[in-house]
Amino acid sequence: MRAVVRNGVGVFHPQGFLDGNSSASLLSIDDIEATLNNNADMILVSLKKVIFFNKNGLDNFVKMFQKVRSTNHSTVGFCDYDTKKHNAIMKFYNNEPPFSLFKTHEIATLFSANYKNKSKNILLYSEDKSQRAAMAIELHDNGHNPIVAQSKEEFLQKSEVQGTYDEIIDNTYLGQMGQKVASRVTGNAIIYTVSSFLDAEIGNTFNVAYHNNSLNIGFRLFIFDAYKVVSMNVHALNFFSKLASSGAEYNATICFVGMTFEKTPLTFKETLEDSGIMFFSQMDDILKNKKLLEELGASSATAAKMKRAINKITVLELPNFIDATVATIEMMTNAKAVKQDVKMHNIKIETRENTIASSIGYYGDMDGMIVLVFPLPIAKKACELLIGEQTENTELILDTLAELVNIVGGKVKTLLGDEGISVDITLPRTYPSVESLLEIADNKKGVQVDLLFNDDKFVFFLTR
Amino acid sequence: MCNIITKVEKLITKDTINSFIERIPPAPEALKATLLHLKAEDLTKAAAVAKEDKALNAYLSEIVNKPIFGFRNKVHEISQIFGILGVSKSQQAVYNYMLTLLSPSKWLLFKLNRSSFYNLQAELTVDWQKILHHLNIVDKDIESAISLLPASIIVSEALFCEKIEDVNLLRSVNAIDLNTILKRLCDEDLFDISQRVAQKWNMNEKISEIIQASSGVKPSKDPQINRLGKWMHLLLFYTLSKSAFIDAGLNDFIDFQLEYTEDIYNDFAILMDIS
Repeated sequence: MRAVVRNGVGVFHPQGFLDGNSSASLLSIDDIEATLNNNADMILVSLKKVIFFNKNGLDNFVKMFQKVRSTNHSTVGFCDYDTKKHNAIMKFYNNEPPFSLFKTHEIATLFSANYKNKSKNILLYSEDKSQRAAMAIELHDNGHNPIVAQSKEEFLQKSEVQGTYDEIIDNTYLGQMGQKVASRVTGNAIIYTVSSFLDAEIGNTFNVAYHNNSLNIGFRLFIFDAYKVVSMNVHALNFFSKLASSGAEYNATICFVGMTFEKTPLTFKETLEDSGIMFFSQMDDILKNKKLLEELGASSATAAKMKRAINKITVLELPNFIDATVATIEMMTNAKAVKQDVKMHNIKIETRENTIASSIGYYGDMDGMIVLVFPLPIAKKACELLIGEQTENTELILDTLAELVNIVGGKVKTLLGDEGISVDITLPRTYPSVESLLEIADNKKGVQVDLLFNDDKFVFFLTR
Repeated sequence: MCNIITKVEKLITKDTINSFIERIPPAPEALKATLLHLKAEDLTKAAAVAKEDKALNAYLSEIVNKPIFGFRNKVHEISQIFGILGVSKSQQAVYNYMLTLLSPSKWLLFKLNRSSFYNLQAELTVDWQKILHHLNIVDKDIESAISLLPASIIVSEALFCEKIEDVNLLRSVNAIDLNTILKRLCDEDLFDISQRVAQKWNMNEKISEIIQASSGVKPSKDPQINRLGKWMHLLLFYTLSKSAFIDAGLNDFIDFQLEYTEDIYNDFAILMDIS
């Protein structure tokens, strides 16, 4: 079974009846591994379309969850259930399940570090006091505003007030939460979240390839959210020093936020500062200081010193990239594409009004970035198949475009894989205007292909 | 400026569906005659005509001797088979056979083969009988309605088999079933196409109506048809939750409408002994 991956949350959707036999057939470790490779840091099984389950049925999933957690540190569990199902699960596992429970997929997303819509007002309640605290801390760390109800009565009273809260959380349980170094993008900065004891394990849990690729595609500011770090040992110190040195050639900046040195030698801080790493006590000290952001290179990626040329392998594989893009847009719009022009130059976009864009990076045996520039009518049409209706909601269109470019990335990965070229893809990124795209891509040379879909001009741009 | 039309094809269009319907062969004469005699409840004449169709003979012999039918001794003679099954079940068996004429020789989208598809038909048939007995319904056409249900699987295979990768990619970013993809692209879903198959083969209209209701997304205004649609929808997902059919990739090819079946679930669970 395949999972749907959105905002770093991979969800499997079994249907019907779950018992010991069926659940063993529904999900395998390979399915979970494939989902983790697709940028998911949370693995969930949705019970929305499950009408019956028993403990044997859940146990098969739970065994796999435990295996995944022990190697990958991802958050694992179930979502999309009603009170009856929630109570049944809690009873099966004596009120202390070794996994997480999220009442809905949307609630799970709030706990994912990859979720980019921050600052949600969230009312939450759990009978268990420590659960209430754990959820509030996680939500706060993810940039939301949790409001904790201390009693069932208070929760019911507050939840009746319409329009006050963006989300209301109950019947949710945080099992062992992930310790993987999750990443999220804020503007042009990438924020990594680290916690507890930083030791040699950081070399396994930190995705170096993702970091390097982010450098390649123009990110210059990397912030380690270290509020929850207890201490750091010499192995982790060496790791971060090396990371800082390797980023120096890109003129990149690494910052630590919220790190205390109560249980870590102060000399470590000096060593890290010597490597160029900066320390801040609050995240807002950086993110709300525009001047500082500019100095650190996060207001624009044009500060990039490394301009990388299109190489031979990229040119040779160009038909695969174009085919993957055209096939995806044709599939989504049911319209034929007409290729108009292929040229190698800096990106040129004739019409800036009503134009949005998305991009996705790839890395591995070859690396680069695919940029797709959509006139709004094509973007809307392409999103209709996924959304199921016409929409004028730009935020929804941009979110769906991110999914679309993810499909393109997946298709490229498959087509290149067929030729023995192994690549991974980054998280997709969207741009609400041409100007925001040009901040990243203006000075980059690449291959531009102009395509016509139903007389609307669509731009494909491949760069490194 | 070059002006090249790319070679990539669209996912599915109305033309793809029309071409599929056009390719469906008309029901063979021997089958039509067999069904006419069964309609007149003349088992002897029906068996005599059916005997001429060797493939039908082989099919009936294979399917009724499956363990799920529970016959003690092997039966081969078509007159024996019709005699044991009776008029209603014989009609149902002939319709089941007609459906196999539509099924591909090699399955690509779903991991099925001739034997596993027959198993699916047999399991649905036996459980549907159990349901109708529970509901005190005795009606030839309602009994036969279950035969058309796997048509949705055959239609999915025919329309999507060459687009497996596209469909998989689409489904990796959105929990979207094949029925919804088809509806959004062509404004016609798998159950509409199954209905067109039934019309081409002159099946009773009641069969099509039950099948449409069993999609779970098009409730019927007729309360009896709607009730049967709910039972059939739940039966389909009960069957598709068995490991053999999950392994075949059938668990999520259409969307299970849990709310549609909630009011009959307890009855269903008792009848099927689910605990």
